[in-house]
Amino acid sequence: MQSRFSLWLLALCLFTAAVSGIPAASAAGEGETLVYSWNSNVGPLNPHLYSPNQMFAQGMVYEPLVQYQADGSIAPWLAESWNISEDGKTYDFTLRQGVVFSDGTPFDAKAVKMNFDAILKNRKRHEWLELINQIESVTVLDPRTARITLREAYYPALQELALIRPPRFLSPSAFPDDGDTSKGMKAPIGTGPWKLVEIKKGEYDVFEANERYWGQKPFFKRLVVKVIPDSSARSIAFETGEIDLIYGSGGHGGGQLGLDEFKRFQASKDLVTDVSGPLATRSLAVNSNRFPTNDLAVRKAILHAVDKKAMAEHIFLGVEKQADTLFAPNMPYCDLGLPPYAFDLEKSAELLENAGWKLDPASGYRMKDGAELSLDLCFVGNDALQKAVAEVIQGDLRKAGIKVNLVGEEPDSFNVRQKNGEFGMIFDDTFGVPYDPHSFCSSMRVPSHADYQAQLGLPMKKELDAKIGQVLTATGEKTRASLYRDILTTLHDQAVYLPLTHMTSIMVHRPELKDVEFGAAKYDIPFEKMRR
Amino acid sequence: MPLYVLKRLALLVPMLLAVSVTVFLILRLGQGDPAMSYLRLSNIPPTDEALATARQELGLDRPLPVQYADWLGKAVRLDFGRSYVTKNPVLDEILYYLPNTLILAGFSLFLTLAVSLPLGAISAVEKDKLPDQLVRGLSFFGVSIPNFFLGFVLVWIFSVKLRWLPSMGMGGLDHMILPAVTMSLMSLCINARLIRANMLENIHARFALYARARGLSERAVTGRHVLVNSLIPVITAVGMHVGELFGGAVVAESIFSWPGVGRYAVSAIYNRDYPVMQCFILIMTAIFVTMNLAVDILYAWIDPRIRLQGESK
Repeated sequence: MQSRFSLWLLALCLFTAAVSGIPAASAAGEGETLVYSWNSNVGPLNPHLYSPNQMFAQGMVYEPLVQYQADGSIAPWLAESWNISEDGKTYDFTLRQGVVFSDGTPFDAKAVKMNFDAILKNRKRHEWLELINQIESVTVLDPRTARITLREAYYPALQELALIRPPRFLSPSAFPDDGDTSKGMKAPIGTGPWKLVEIKKGEYDVFEANERYWGQKPFFKRLVVKVIPDSSARSIAFETGEIDLIYGSGGHGGGQLGLDEFKRFQASKDLVTDVSGPLATRSLAVNSNRFPTNDLAVRKAILHAVDKKAMAEHIFLGVEKQADTLFAPNMPYCDLGLPPYAFDLEKSAELLENAGWKLDPASGYRMKDGAELSLDLCFVGNDALQKAVAEVIQGDLRKAGIKVNLVGEEPDSFNVRQKNGEFGMIFDDTFGVPYDPHSFCSSMRVPSHADYQAQLGLPMKKELDAKIGQVLTATGEKTRASLYRDILTTLHDQAVYLPLTHMTSIMVHRPELKDVEFGAAKYDIPFEKMRR
Repeated sequence: MPLYVLKRLALLVPMLLAVSVTVFLILRLGQGDPAMSYLRLSNIPPTDEALATARQELGLDRPLPVQYADWLGKAVRLDFGRSYVTKNPVLDEILYYLPNTLILAGFSLFLTLAVSLPLGAISAVEKDKLPDQLVRGLSFFGVSIPNFFLGFVLVWIFSVKLRWLPSMGMGGLDHMILPAVTMSLMSLCINARLIRANMLENIHARFALYARARGLSERAVTGRHVLVNSLIPVITAVGMHVGELFGGAVVAESIFSWPGVGRYAVSAIYNRDYPVMQCFILIMTAIFVTMNLAVDILYAWIDPRIRLQGESK
């Protein structure tokens, strides 16, 4: 009796389990659909606003007047050509003929003016971008020619016109009735290769190829972007065929894929993986205005004592490569052939020895005039990557007789230190493509930046700031190149930055997916070139 | 009885108020700066000016009491403000995602009960025999394994290796199985053990003896008398399981990309989206408290001893 009862119960158990036995869904990306994933929905895709609009998607739907190329140069895009006045204040853009928005509205000078007027209405929101501060007015010369007038000459105007937001173009037909796009728009209609056709909150967004696109039309008819916030979940979704492509910055958290998982995919023969060229530089600012790093010899000794190669290999698993200069040589004006501070403990010791820093055998650290060679390295405490890097540097510098105190704090305190210069060394990454080098150099003049604070002890700081001011307004290409050479050489010689690695993007896909390339900037994803 | 329910419901008000103050303060005393997160999400270099503009825009430049009073004034009218990230009304967003979580949690609860009941019963009836040992082993395993780990193990086995079940997203019943198992395994195992213990206690209770004395079959005694009486404490446990399931949903939804309110809350925490976190915690508190109340009422209704005790006073 008892056993029959048990059998009955067991059957119920099995039944409960079996009710659910439905076969798994088939792979999502087949034929004419490409499936990608992102941390969140792409947002309403207003070209003139920020979060929650996702940059990579804004870049798919909207296009700039000019395009930033991988080598740092600027190429024609919606503008076929342009003419810059002698004084560098007036830019006349001749617009490409036959371009229409995805709803058929023609793209003309009026549309350009309408969009810039909307952006300028919301100036405060865009004040971080110097171009917007510099634009005085935008006028229509004729249907195919638009003029942008600047307050002062500003050479990076073209670079910044290539940005994904805000200087891109919404169809006049999609403008709100009062013309103020900062409050909303009727529909996300641009000139780009893709159209946003469906938003399913928390699940996916769907794009379709823009049949009216003027350039190379996408090979795929549809692009589905699934919402996957977790990087481990993303790697599983890729393995089970729910997504076709992993593309973006590496690392857990905000990245597309953890570096360890990327390495695992890299080891697989059935997959295609790639790492992009340098997009930005992970670096530390070294304080020239504070003991003991106010001594040039100490700064140089530090740069010689850090084994970046080992760091790139073991912390960044080879995905990020060692950086020898503040800006990678592929950034505009940055291929200067500056001699790297090679990893050389003997050289480091010699520099310190000559500067009067003698090793104290008791502590293992160097001393001078009774003061220990000790400095604070500041980082964001809960940032695992910064912590790991900081610990490696602490270990490396110990071998050189330099004591490093690790100061891991919450982001607020970390930012305060960046602003008021209370650090020996502090994490200070460059802004990256396409803001490097001009925006980053520009910010070196602002007292609330770690760069300014770190450079304050340099005897030529004033001169340096003046040169940065000059380079931004210089109109001659040669003048600019020579000014940048001066600025970057000085910063390099003065050893106020400890560049560590160059940040990169990663990609993983199956070999069936072809022509997957890295875009020029972090959020340029050339989906239109991909095919199966 | 109605008076008791009303009293309990009235207590909700001060409780939610206290929770709201605590949450409001803890969020703001904690680490991080939403203005900074906002700029990070927007890819704007965090200059002083940009931070000041963002703070002003998000209303963070005002003194804390003013911020709280403003928030509370709107919250009582069910306006929980707008998300810092998506700029949409928070309540709309949460109510959009909540049904998905309720579906998943509901299925998990069903799974918990439907599986734990037979497991517990078998275990008791077959005490110390193989089935009992298997169930005990499973319980030990299920209670010990953390759900974030279990989730990935299940995905690895059933999605990556066997390819039986989808690893992510919402869809048919098949999409629910892995997340629901992840969420319910622990509650399920606890429940099975609870039922086993209760049944073993009741098997030798007097009412079971009398039932046997009345000549009822052993099956009827076990099924009708012992099992049913063993279920009463399970109701209390269910009240707690609901809380565990919602907590588990936060983890499971992130692993399985389930578009529910738990995953939404995780993103909000990551982005320091205060209005969302405040509203989420309040709603969860309300659900939790109401569930407990419902359990208490149910308990009184089912078990005459409790009901009569209350009435005799």
